[in-house]
Parts: sequence; structure tokens; C-alpha cells
Amino acid sequence: MQPRSPDLGTFGEGRAGVARPSPSRGSRAGSPWLPYLYLLPGLLVFTLFVVLPVIAAIAISLTAWNGISWDTATFVGIDNYLDAFRDDRFWTAFKHNIYLIPWYVILPIILGLAPAAFVHRMKLRGSRLFQAGIFLPYIMPGVLIGVVWRWMLNPVFGPINTTLKDWGFHPPTWLGDFTWALPTIGFIGAWAAYGFCYVVFVAGMQKIPTDLYDAARLDGANGWQEFRAVTLPGLRRELAVVLAVNLINAMRAFDVVKATTDGGPGDSTNVLALYMMNNLGGNRAGFAIAIAIMLAVITLAQSLIVLRLFGDSDD
Amino acid sequence: MTRRIVVYAILTVACLISIVPFAITFLASLKTMPEIVQGVLSWPASPNWGNYSQAWRQGNFSQFFYNSTVVAIAVVVPSVFLSALTGYAFSRFQFRGSNVIFAYLLLGLVVPLQAMVVPLFYLMRELHLLDSLWALILPQVALSLSFGTLLMRQAFNAVPRDIVEASVLDGASSWQTLWQVMFPLSRPLIGTLGLLFFIWTWNEFLLPLVVNIDPDYQTLPVGLLYFQQRWTSNIPLTAAGATIIFIPLIAIFLLFQRQLIEGLTEGALKG
Repeated sequence: MQPRSPDLGTFGEGRAGVARPSPSRGSRAGSPWLPYLYLLPGLLVFTLFVVLPVIAAIAISLTAWNGISWDTATFVGIDNYLDAFRDDRFWTAFKHNIYLIPWYVILPIILGLAPAAFVHRMKLRGSRLFQAGIFLPYIMPGVLIGVVWRWMLNPVFGPINTTLKDWGFHPPTWLGDFTWALPTIGFIGAWAAYGFCYVVFVAGMQKIPTDLYDAARLDGANGWQEFRAVTLPGLRRELAVVLAVNLINAMRAFDVVKATTDGGPGDSTNVLALYMMNNLGGNRAGFAIAIAIMLAVITLAQSLIVLRLFGDSDD
Repeated sequence: MTRRIVVYAILTVACLISIVPFAITFLASLKTMPEIVQGVLSWPASPNWGNYSQAWRQGNFSQFFYNSTVVAIAVVVPSVFLSALTGYAFSRFQFRGSNVIFAYLLLGLVVPLQAMVVPLFYLMRELHLLDSLWALILPQVALSLSFGTLLMRQAFNAVPRDIVEASVLDGASSWQTLWQVMFPLSRPLIGTLGLLFFIWTWNEFLLPLVVNIDPDYQTLPVGLLYFQQRWTSNIPLTAAGATIIFIPLIAIFLLFQRQLIEGLTEGALKG
């Protein structure tokens, strides 16, 4: 144990005059290598299993390779990317991802924002319980969501179609129908995401200072005007985040599609991630990975644009 | 007062929309096939629990549960440990290259798994780890480090300086300070971090689908996919399989509701 002498009590940046090499709050604790020692294990694991695969992905995407033996890989430059641009099925899958955006992004935002706005500034008994219920689908694995909705939408026995038939409608087969399959997947995506949006918005609204509302009220604003003038601008950051997260989910959609339609019927619900997976066989590893890289670039660009548009100032 | 009623009505409807599909699935899991045909909300004459034992056996769910649990623990514990080390390095020390290394570690937040999952398959093949739980554990530990470092650095930054200084004065080494002072003080946040790692690992689908072919080394989401593919037309059995998956998740959710909701939404705000 070291003696607690008073002149030791004020170490740190301010008092460098003491005979102690302590320019920062850390280096006094030991050798200058210490921080690197703390980083070493994490950096090793991260480099080996995240960075290396990313570099390998870029490299493989520039080759024609059967995916089996390394020496069969031949460098082809950006041919795989050009092939993708010339490939109708690639564009079909891409269009389907774009089509999912209103469903995965806009719809859950509206469905989450509306109840959040009503709940806002009301003391409600059990609001936490409601919140938990609404949030529940968001913690479930995509495959499970797919399995549950496949049963809900089963054309013959499913609860939705039996009910609709009881009411005299002639519902489509939903996931089995060329026209309806993709919007149905969009609907499932919106269902899975709106609880998340709701909770983010409720939390964001609680951070808006109440005097802004008092001021709006003094100006004679009604509920809607108050929402437009105070609540919505106050949710800028939350909107940016929800937009970015939902956009990523729309572009990367995979789990739910795999478990409901697997891209069918025909190619009517094929999406980029699924198309990538289905190209892994055969001679097309490079091509598949090129799609994955484009997917990464698209989602990254989207996130940057969203964050830029919403001018995220703090941290 | 009327507004209050309207708000309650809206919340109830929203809640029902989220919950009813699970409830109906549970109901279907207790029926026989003829009872399914009779109607959605009809109660089965006697709950057919046999569906569960059949699903459990046919679906090999004990194996999937075992694998999921082992993988989750083997991912969460080292991820929290390594994140604490890296987060501590950035919070406690000033050193050359800290900004660059920090940015490097955050790379995992921007690159999607899709872009690296295929090379991971080949990497695991080189390491002779294909069709093993290691193939699932190692990449997910590595992927956890980005978010973990970010969060742990923030948690440690929030620990008051005087506490750290007092511990140094007591002669504690930086290692002791980390585990005896910083770590216990950050326990709530570390708990949330562990929960997030758990749920992300538990729900991961793409990685096991790509790197493991042998069903003996699959986790629950992939197991459920196999099960559904095999028993599509047997609705009660598929419903029982789905219920087997979501009941434990609902239990975990109810236990750690607050941390999970806050963690997942705050986590998104940070990412």
C-alpha cells in the first residue's frame, strides 16, 4: 500500500511539476505499452474474423472462382460487377428491395408515430406494459416471424383468410400469389418494425422540453399545430435513426423472405441478399460476393445520406 | 377523459396487433388438424399437448436448444470481457493512434454481415472449423466488439474521476482498477450489453446457415427453418415448433423488459 501523502492527491494534467512522469491520466499507471496490451486480444479477434473477411470479400469479388480450391481463382477485375449490371435477375431483386422501402421504412414510422403522439404528455397507468406488448415482435428472430405469418396467412386454414371468407370476401393466397407476395412481405416487415419505432419516438418525445409546449399553447396552437411545430422537429434525431435502421433492414431483407417465400413464386419476392445466397453454388462465388459488396455500399451510402440530411449535431 | 379512453383504445389495438399472431399460433399448437379447420378462435376440445413432444422429437429441438445456449454463452462472456478491455484502454489511457484504432474497431458497425459471411465460410474451412460451434462463436465475438467497445468506453467515461484516482492512490494497478472498481460500477450497463449480445446471437440466422451444413451444429432459427420445410402441411406441429421458440424469448423479454427495450432503442441511437 502506498502512503496517502497530500502532494499525491492532485495528480493529472494540471500538476506536472511533481517528479512524476504523468502527462495523462493513464501513463503513470505503468509502461507506455499498457494500453496496447489491453487492446491486443480484442484487436486480434476483430482483425481475424471481421477485417480479414471483408478484405477477402473485396478480393474474391474481383475473381472468377468456383469457391472450392484457391488456385482455381482467376483475376477478372470488375467483371463480376458488370455482370450484375447486365443481369436482369439482379435488377429484379434490386427493384424488390426498393419496393420494400415504403413498407419497411415509411409505414412503421407512421404507425409508430401516431400512437406515440397520442400517448405523449399523458400520464397513463400501465403505459410500460403496453409498450412491452407493442415492442414484442422486434425481439423475435426473423425466421420465427416468417413461420408465424405463414400460418396466419395460410390460404386455406389460416385465420386471416378463413375470417375474410366468412365475411364474403375472396382473398388471394397472399404469399403464394405473384401480385400479392411482395406486398405481403412488406406488410410483415412493417408489423415487425413499428413497435421499435413507437418506443424510440416515445422516448424521444419525453426529452422535448415542456416549456416549448407551453409556449406553443400560449401562441394558441391546437394539437396538430403543436405536433408539427414542436414534436416533429424535436424528434429529428430519432427520425434519422429510425430511417437509417429501417432502410438497412429493407435493403438487407433476408430472414423473413427465406422463411416465407424463399423468393417465390417465380422470382416475385427475390431480394438481393437471397439472390446472393443462391449464387454461392456453381462457379459464381465472385459474382455472389460482388452483390454482397454492392449491398454494403448501398446501405452505407443510405445511412450517410440520412444522417447528413438530418444534420445530427451531437456526438 | 374521452381523450384518455381514445388513447387506451389505440394502445390496446396496437398491442393486440403485435401479440395476437403469437397467441393464435399458440392456440393452433394445441389443436388437432380437424380442429384447425373448425375455426380460428375455437378452443380445442382438449389441449393436444402431444404436439409439443412430437415437435420436440421430430424437430431435434433439444440439440438446437443446446447449441443455441452454448453459442450464446460462449459469445456473450468473451465479448463482454474483450469489450471491457478495449473500452477501458480508450477510456483510461491517452496513447498514440488511439483515434485510428478506435475508428478501426468501429468498422464492424458499418459493414454488414452479408459482405463477410462467405469469406468467413472459407476462413473456417481453412481453420478446419466448418460444422462446429466455433464457426458460430468466433465471428460473433469479433462482430460484438465494435458495439461493445463503443458502449464500454462510454460506461467507463461515466465513472467519476475521483473514484478512479482514489483507487490509484490505494496502490491498485490499472488491471485491479478495471475489475475491482470500474467494472462493478458499470454493472447496469454491462448487464444491458450482455443482454443485447445474447439476443443478437440467439437470433442470428445468416451466419449459421452459411458456415454450418451439418444440422447437428445449427442453432434454433435455422432449426426452425428446417422444421418448417419438413412439416409445412402439418399446421399444429409447425405451430408447436414456433411456440417452442418464442415462449423462452417472451420469458426473457418479460424478465428484462426494461433493459432490452432501452438497450435496443438506445443502441440504435448510438449506431
